[in-house]
Amino acid sequence: MKRAILILTFATATMVTSANDSKYFETMARNIQQVYTAQTSDEIQQAVNILDRVGSAEKTRWEPYYYASFGYIMLANREKDSAKKDAYLDQAQIEIDKALTINPNESEIVALQGFIHMIRLSVDPASRGQKYSPLAMQFLGKAAAINPENPRALAMMAQMQLGTARFFNSPVTEACATNSRAIEKFSSYKPENPLAPVWGKGMTEDMLKQCK
Amino acid sequence: MRTTNLICILSFFYLFIASIAGAQTTISGKVVDEKGEGVPGANISIKDSYDGTSSTADGSFAFKTDEHGSKVLESTFIGYKKFQQSIELTGKSVVLTVTLKEEINQLDAVTISAGSFTAGDEKRRTILKAVDIATTAGATADIAGALNTLPGTTKVGESGRLFVRGGDSNETRTFIDGMVVLDAYGPSAPNTPSRGRFLPFMFKGTSFSTGGYSAEYGQALSSALVLNSKDKAEANQTDIGILSVGADVAHTQVWDRSSISGKVQYTNIRPYFGLMDQRVDWIDPPVSFQASSAYRVQVGKEGLLKVFGNFNHSTFALYNHDIDQPSLTQRMDLTNIYGYGNIAYLQPLNEKWSVRGGLAYSHNENAAMFDFRPATEIEKGLHSKLVLEHTVSDKVELRFGGEILGRNYSASRRDEESLLILSQSFNETISASFVEVEAFASKQFVAKAGARLEHNSLLNKIALDPRLSLAWRPGKQGQFSIAYGTFRQSAKNQYLRVNNDLNNERAEHFILNYQIINNNRTFRAETYYKRYYDLVKFANLDATSLNNLGSGYAKGVEVFWRDNKSIRNVDYWVSYSLLDTKRDYLNFPSMATPSFASKHNFSIVYKHFVKVIKSQLGFTYSYASGRPYYNPNNPAFNSDHTPEYHDLSANVAFLPKNWLIIYASCTNLLGRDNIFGYNYSATPDSNGVYARNALRQPAAHLLFLGVFITLTKNKSVNQLPNL
Repeated sequence: MKRAILILTFATATMVTSANDSKYFETMARNIQQVYTAQTSDEIQQAVNILDRVGSAEKTRWEPYYYASFGYIMLANREKDSAKKDAYLDQAQIEIDKALTINPNESEIVALQGFIHMIRLSVDPASRGQKYSPLAMQFLGKAAAINPENPRALAMMAQMQLGTARFFNSPVTEACATNSRAIEKFSSYKPENPLAPVWGKGMTEDMLKQCK
Repeated sequence: MRTTNLICILSFFYLFIASIAGAQTTISGKVVDEKGEGVPGANISIKDSYDGTSSTADGSFAFKTDEHGSKVLESTFIGYKKFQQSIELTGKSVVLTVTLKEEINQLDAVTISAGSFTAGDEKRRTILKAVDIATTAGATADIAGALNTLPGTTKVGESGRLFVRGGDSNETRTFIDGMVVLDAYGPSAPNTPSRGRFLPFMFKGTSFSTGGYSAEYGQALSSALVLNSKDKAEANQTDIGILSVGADVAHTQVWDRSSISGKVQYTNIRPYFGLMDQRVDWIDPPVSFQASSAYRVQVGKEGLLKVFGNFNHSTFALYNHDIDQPSLTQRMDLTNIYGYGNIAYLQPLNEKWSVRGGLAYSHNENAAMFDFRPATEIEKGLHSKLVLEHTVSDKVELRFGGEILGRNYSASRRDEESLLILSQSFNETISASFVEVEAFASKQFVAKAGARLEHNSLLNKIALDPRLSLAWRPGKQGQFSIAYGTFRQSAKNQYLRVNNDLNNERAEHFILNYQIINNNRTFRAETYYKRYYDLVKFANLDATSLNNLGSGYAKGVEVFWRDNKSIRNVDYWVSYSLLDTKRDYLNFPSMATPSFASKHNFSIVYKHFVKVIKSQLGFTYSYASGRPYYNPNNPAFNSDHTPEYHDLSANVAFLPKNWLIIYASCTNLLGRDNIFGYNYSATPDSNGVYARNALRQPAAHLLFLGVFITLTKNKSVNQLPNL
């Protein structure tokens, strides 16, 4: 009898937590996929809205804010008007700040912060270069230092080096070498869990074509 | 059996719980803005839960939630304030309208543009970027040189300073981080343009106001040049510059919460003058040593302390030739010692309040000798200031503060006959307070009203200056602004030292502006009317008997166009100013146009990045119609005009490596012999005619060559933004 109650209680507890967990993983997986594959800005905005809601409910998990931030960066990339681009990047920054509060030493979050600076730079390289170029490199470097296996930190660093080389019409050897290292890391990269970031490989493949 | 029973009961209980928990509530409605129009894509949610949805294209939404009891419904969207409302979830459907309120201080809100050009502040839609100031051809990286290509300025080729809307150059006051700078220009030989003492790359933002500026700024009749220095540096780097006229070296060291940078520069123009023929009869061409340092430290979470210091020592010696007998010469030696220190502190107190303040000290000493007879001039100034800023709501900002500016000035020379040292001096303390409110009625309409109260110790008088500006954007892009204000400034040192009781000179500005910035193109048109009161006047043409009976006016129309969109890799801007100004002051017999004012000013600045040769090319063409000058042979005062002024300057910055820049610039490519005015002999010759000398450019061209090397760990940085 006591055992029965115990079993039931236990079953109830696990049912609730696993239900919550599966709800979390299922919601996250679906919306991360939507951010990756969205055809329109509206679709991204919808996914970002859900990710942001998940973030507010799951107070100890950084992934919802990480992907919400990533979604806003994607929105900024689709936008043509530079003032609106900046407005999206401001939102991306708000989300990444929340992720950083939860886990300041996660290489993926630090790398995404570097990505935000990189896109800020791209809005107006001539006048923002001096400020954002070192900032982007600083965060990407820190991300790579925390986790040398993070392929995204290297891939974005390669993009920064390529952009600089392009601007000065100088050889792209350094950028291409970094890109090759990023490709290696992508091939050996094993996501720690189903929600771990997997984006960025396409960036290295595009660059590989230009390096040839 | 009993166990089975219990399981049955428990299972039932379970189902019951589940059914209560699962009593879903449907929430639906519409998200609208303040005008009642639907907002698509807004996030609607039950706080701290997964439940929610995004609004559809017409703003409507509907979702179900398993939550129950008292909860908070939230809604957010970019550009709007967060919406929150308590909601009771009982299983009964809820229908509601979510009204999102605009967040006003967004990038797309209307801004007051009357009278003001802002550069920098990268996120705003600014007219000029900080880097533009440094890369304008003909300006040779001088702030005033670049701003002289904007409407509202008059080209005064022999001065290099800013002359704004019929005002003399002293009517423009420079501020660094809100603090006064006295004597902002370096010394220069006669008819040679002087350069600003502060290099453009120090600043992240520049606001150049040609009238109607904030009540925070006083003691400027015509114009305020507000420079905001950079925040903490982000990377260690060393910069080395080898120039045709000297060399400089700078280093920046960065820590987690602070950074320090220092720069020393030595310039000696002698080797250059050896190569390029000069019209000035130099004994010792200018030699100058300059050092500056900036320290930044973050205080607490959001406070920032900035310390800046600048020291300059320069000397030159030359012969002035007599107009009637050029073989008669007078030797002039000048040594200038200048020091400027500035501490600025900014501390947000909480979300609604922040405080900023500072302390600045200027010391300027000109030790001149005329045929070895000394004449010295020393000005010292101490400025302290405290400002509180309060965000009353997202639509209303309140600023108020106080400042004290103490100045001590003395000039002395040795009298030729008595050999006595004669000196004149004054001590002036200006205590001021100001208050200013900026209120948005909507994103389309903003008003700024302020007032400034000043007490002057020399006069022992209190004066009040009101300031008002409004901006209105009727459509999506274009906006109108108007500005009004009264302004005052102490008389020039050379007059105030003669008569300590001189009143402040005063001006009143009326400005109407239209501006449209769209897709990297800017169009701006402005018209203004300015009145001068209480200008210093010589009684009976006697320079030692001064009063405040002078007056004057200036009015004009200005147009500006900038486009860095239409032609790939090309950025250009065009300015035109029409100026009509007259004043009756100093020794003027009646109302007349002063000799620093020209009726038409036009300039075009062109910049082109040519990838194939890794170079940025720049051209600047400036035109000014003839300026009046005093001709004692002509009974009508200031009725003669100099020839027109033309200048075409070019620069090229070549970037072979990303740490190396080779830079060259040359002024006056057309080789025009510009004449700025004439000096007349004090006495007529035997025919009763006064002889004259033309004031010309000291040389046909000013050539500048430089090699700039940047050493960093991260090679993606160079000095391009500095040039």
